[in-house]
Amino acid sequence: MMLQAITLVVAQAIVLLAISPFLVGLIRKVKARFQCRRGAGVFQPYADLAKLFRKQPVISTTTSWIFTATPYILFASTLSAGLLVPTFISQTPMNFAGNIIALVYLLALGTFFLILAGLDAGSAFGGMGSSREAIVASLTEPAMILSIFAIALTAGSTNLSTIVHKTALMEGIVTDPSPHLMALAALCIVALAETGRVPVDNPATHLELTMIHEAMVLEYSGRYLALVEWAAGLKLAVFLTLIANVFAPWGIATTLTPAAMGIGLVTYILKIAGLAMLIGTLECMFAKLRLFRVTDLLGVAFILALLGLVFFYILRG
Amino acid sequence: MSLFSIDVGSQLVDLGSALLLLTCFAIVAQRRLSACVDLFVLQSVFLALTASLVAFLTGIHHIYVAAALTIVVKAVIIPRILKQVIEHVNVKRELEMNVNVPTGLLICGALVILAFFITQPIIPLGFLLTRDSLAIALAIVLIGFFMMIARKKAVTQVIGFLVMENGLFLGATAAAYGMPLIVELGVFFDLLVGTLIIGIYSHRLQDAFDSVDTSKLTTLKE
Amino acid sequence: MTVLLVGLLAIYMAGIILPPCFPGRPRIQNLVAHGLATGAGLVGIVLGLAGLLVPEPWTVSAESTIPFLSFAIRLDPLASFFVLTISLVGLAASIFALGYVTEFYGRSSIAAMGSLFNGFLLSMTLVVMADNGFLFLIVWELMALLSYFLVVTEHEKAEVRYAGLFYLIMAHVGTAFIVLTFLIFFQEAGSFSFEAFRHPEQPLPEGMRTLAFLMALVGFGAKAGIVPLHVWLPYAHPAAPSHISALMSGVMIKTAIYALLRVYFDFLGGQFPWWWGFVVLLVGTTSALLGVMYALMENDLKRLLAFSSVENVGIILLGIGAGMIFQSYGLKEFAALGLLAGLYHTINHAMFKGLLFMGAGSLLYAAHTRNMEEYGGLLRRMPWTGLFFLVGAVSISALPLANGFVSEWLVFQTLFLSLKLPALFLKLMLPIAAALLALTGVLALVCFAKAFGMSFLALPRSSHARHAKEVPIAMRIGMGFLAVWCVGLGLAPMIVVPLLNRITGPLTGVSISDKVLALDGWALAPVNVQFSSISPPMLAAMLIACGLLGLFLAFMFGGRLVTRSHKTWGCGINLSSRTEYTATGFVQPIKRVFSTIYQPTVKLETEFLEESRYFAKRRRFEFHIEPVFQKYLYDPLVDFFVGMADRLRILQAGSLHLYLAYIFVTLVVLLLFAV
Repeated sequence: MMLQAITLVVAQAIVLLAISPFLVGLIRKVKARFQCRRGAGVFQPYADLAKLFRKQPVISTTTSWIFTATPYILFASTLSAGLLVPTFISQTPMNFAGNIIALVYLLALGTFFLILAGLDAGSAFGGMGSSREAIVASLTEPAMILSIFAIALTAGSTNLSTIVHKTALMEGIVTDPSPHLMALAALCIVALAETGRVPVDNPATHLELTMIHEAMVLEYSGRYLALVEWAAGLKLAVFLTLIANVFAPWGIATTLTPAAMGIGLVTYILKIAGLAMLIGTLECMFAKLRLFRVTDLLGVAFILALLGLVFFYILRG
Repeated sequence: MSLFSIDVGSQLVDLGSALLLLTCFAIVAQRRLSACVDLFVLQSVFLALTASLVAFLTGIHHIYVAAALTIVVKAVIIPRILKQVIEHVNVKRELEMNVNVPTGLLICGALVILAFFITQPIIPLGFLLTRDSLAIALAIVLIGFFMMIARKKAVTQVIGFLVMENGLFLGATAAAYGMPLIVELGVFFDLLVGTLIIGIYSHRLQDAFDSVDTSKLTTLKE
Repeated sequence: MTVLLVGLLAIYMAGIILPPCFPGRPRIQNLVAHGLATGAGLVGIVLGLAGLLVPEPWTVSAESTIPFLSFAIRLDPLASFFVLTISLVGLAASIFALGYVTEFYGRSSIAAMGSLFNGFLLSMTLVVMADNGFLFLIVWELMALLSYFLVVTEHEKAEVRYAGLFYLIMAHVGTAFIVLTFLIFFQEAGSFSFEAFRHPEQPLPEGMRTLAFLMALVGFGAKAGIVPLHVWLPYAHPAAPSHISALMSGVMIKTAIYALLRVYFDFLGGQFPWWWGFVVLLVGTTSALLGVMYALMENDLKRLLAFSSVENVGIILLGIGAGMIFQSYGLKEFAALGLLAGLYHTINHAMFKGLLFMGAGSLLYAAHTRNMEEYGGLLRRMPWTGLFFLVGAVSISALPLANGFVSEWLVFQTLFLSLKLPALFLKLMLPIAAALLALTGVLALVCFAKAFGMSFLALPRSSHARHAKEVPIAMRIGMGFLAVWCVGLGLAPMIVVPLLNRITGPLTGVSISDKVLALDGWALAPVNVQFSSISPPMLAAMLIACGLLGLFLAFMFGGRLVTRSHKTWGCGINLSSRTEYTATGFVQPIKRVFSTIYQPTVKLETEFLEESRYFAKRRRFEFHIEPVFQKYLYDPLVDFFVGMADRLRILQAGSLHLYLAYIFVTLVVLLLFAV
């Protein structure tokens, strides 16, 4: 029993770690295609990571241990958050370790240290990135909690595995699509903001006027940069998994038979690859918003989540 | 009727109304004028779809006609007029507002909750499959009204007015499976004329003040 | 128990009396005063734990000759919990003070400080133990007065005197309301004994109960620092020496929480309409949000911490308010959960706020300024202080593996359980409160990222910071003690929850510890494991394992690569503290987004070179935040009273005969009435 649980957790960690660079590569490829470029292969991020790990890192003389510890903390907190989300099996052994709020706060732990690391190098870029990350994070969180609550209401639980498992088995499934739809829309906006994608942030930019996440991690190099990049990919994977499995848990393995798990794995990869391609498309369709216009977008997310809640209570009340 | 059970049907109607409300919020959050018009078109299409769904589920055929009219008038003709007005009077692309977007959104959220509270005593009395939509319809009317207050340009006030009308139409469909056809025809005609008049009025405003900002009208008093 | 109590009182009394016995020898005064306080802290911890663990409340009383006053002491679980909290922070503050007050040698009287310190601790302990309204009021007043004297330790500074005066006035306004509350109870009970308050001969009429509720909320709220009665906190807490600030912010404001719980759940028996709970919830949400928002804009580290106390009191009240709402609908288990969450946050806040104020004290000690813009780069100079401050910052930001996370999580769960409430209005309002709590939480994160980042990271911003040195060992022990508690309370909820359950049990009438703890205590699960659960130990294990995996990956791929050190690229110019982001700049986006609340006024003056308008010689940037409450609430009130006083001045003609006439007239009127 214990052994099985550990195996499943390790398997999930491996899946998440393995798939996240692929997602990043896929988004880049889609964008390249839309821009009439051939673009690098979808597996390029793996090569990038391997190379970064082998490069000698340069550490700024002004920094403290916070700067070197942050990549590890960020990596650990993001991966731990990932372990709370069901990927290809609906009942993760880590279900009891933390519910969706724990997930939010685990990610916040990473953000906290990243903000500190941005300040640590002492250059204006890092500070700018940290300051902007701070405002984006503060506006995202309320919308996120409220949309989570709307989802939790329809599924009758705040534990992710339980939500996904119930929905997959059509138990207590959403009897009303409208609140679910609102929550989905809200969570999608939140996911774009949290993972630093267009229209909130642009991961491809290195212009001081537009950078948020990239500015914070500007001073990282070598294996530290590799870990930070990998963690960013993981965060993307976590949010895509969350959206895919909470709203469309089709095909996920509800039992632990090899066949079900195989199907679960394949459908899982297909689902999040589809979502990644959607993000790539969206990034080509929209321009990045000015920082102070992000409030409008996140305001919409907040209201949507609130409406989801209202709809749930009123329409079914 | 045999295809859908009443329950699923009513959920679909709810979903349609929810989408209408969503587009309302999108319009409130939008800062570009032409995008507002596009979103209004989208809203009208959703409205037509919801109405046809009701027509299909209840078998009341004159709602189909109203839905078709909605498409023709609100999704084709009126947007054309509005776009022409926008082009002619050379309105700045950015909207000017009395209330900024996030605050506006919060106010609209509060309006929705208010609408739900007002209709709460009425809803359980209804027996129609569309009864839940009544609250949403009222919310849309209120938001439309708010838009007319919060936006400065004449064109956006027209959009607010049209959104209100969409809400009324949904309300009529929800509460009584639509108004008699002759009333609906009258309403559409009114709308068309109203939009035309405001269009012309915008032109005049532009000529007189070099702007379509209705708050400039206050300078008329002497 | 008796031995412990007598011991506690004896040590504190010794701590009050002995220090002045060594005039002119500050070292010995310091050792005696704070050494004794340390001992008393230890005894207090044991007493608190014992009070929590014994099955029946323990009472002792002595009658006095003054009518209605009896020296009654009662240690029920609620009181014991607060004794424990006070003693824990008191212990840490005493150890910290051993090193910290060396700063004041020759400047202030160490004997006075030491005696007052002991007296302050004693009065707080007595406040929560008092079982008689009269006694309670006396020690409550004593607590306010002693803390006032401690606040004005550095009375040579004008702003300190102003802060003290402000504090004293607010404290007395609060006390006035508390007296009224007790008088309402006295009216029915006929006695000032708490026992009589609990079981009055006739139950209070409905209107009186409501009045008592509101009076208590205002009276104790003024001490707790709820918005809009919080205005004194950011003046008084920073003005006091740091170990006193730690006590004031960490535990003194908690005595008000204690008293509120005592009044609402004990005296009023937990019977109330739903809107009471809603009012508390509303006050809590407002305090939490506005507290953290004002904290964010502060560059004075201690003022920042004081505002953050307003926030945390708000979070505590959120838990208690939600609990009250559930209680009024008879959902007792959820009510107990809300109270438990509030109490958990109470002890957590005591730990991390105490720690952070001591951290701020250490910075003040080392760098001689409270302005964050003059810190910077201190982590390399003060590694231990930095580490402890970081622990405090992580805890207060409610990040996993520290205590704040567990209690905020519990508050969230309580608010989520609103789906079980019958009233639609509340079903919608509680989740909105949860969303605002989320906003509060993340703003707190930003606030403490700013506080830590600006103070400890990057380059020193002033020569003070450049020459800062690590603080003495005693101060580090004091901080370390609380830091360990911060982590411990976060990792071991399975020990804390059963203890807190002993408090919430009698207050709400149900025991929930076996329901909240699932899987042999490894997980916290308010309803059941399927609905929601967290397991802090498991999360810790996961985080450590994943962190080790990261290290492993780095070494597997990278081998033993040596890192190279180089200075940060400053776009071609040498990096100096002037290129760094400032604390003001860091929060500018937030200031702009929430400008409706802040009402900032910005002034930018530029002085140009005479030769050309393209080159600026000097730039001066100034910004202020409108102190809304002071401007629109307090100033008109003060103006009103000053105006009244001006009118009444006619009476004060300065003539002795006139005064005698007043007395004479009063006497005659009284005699007439007596007939």
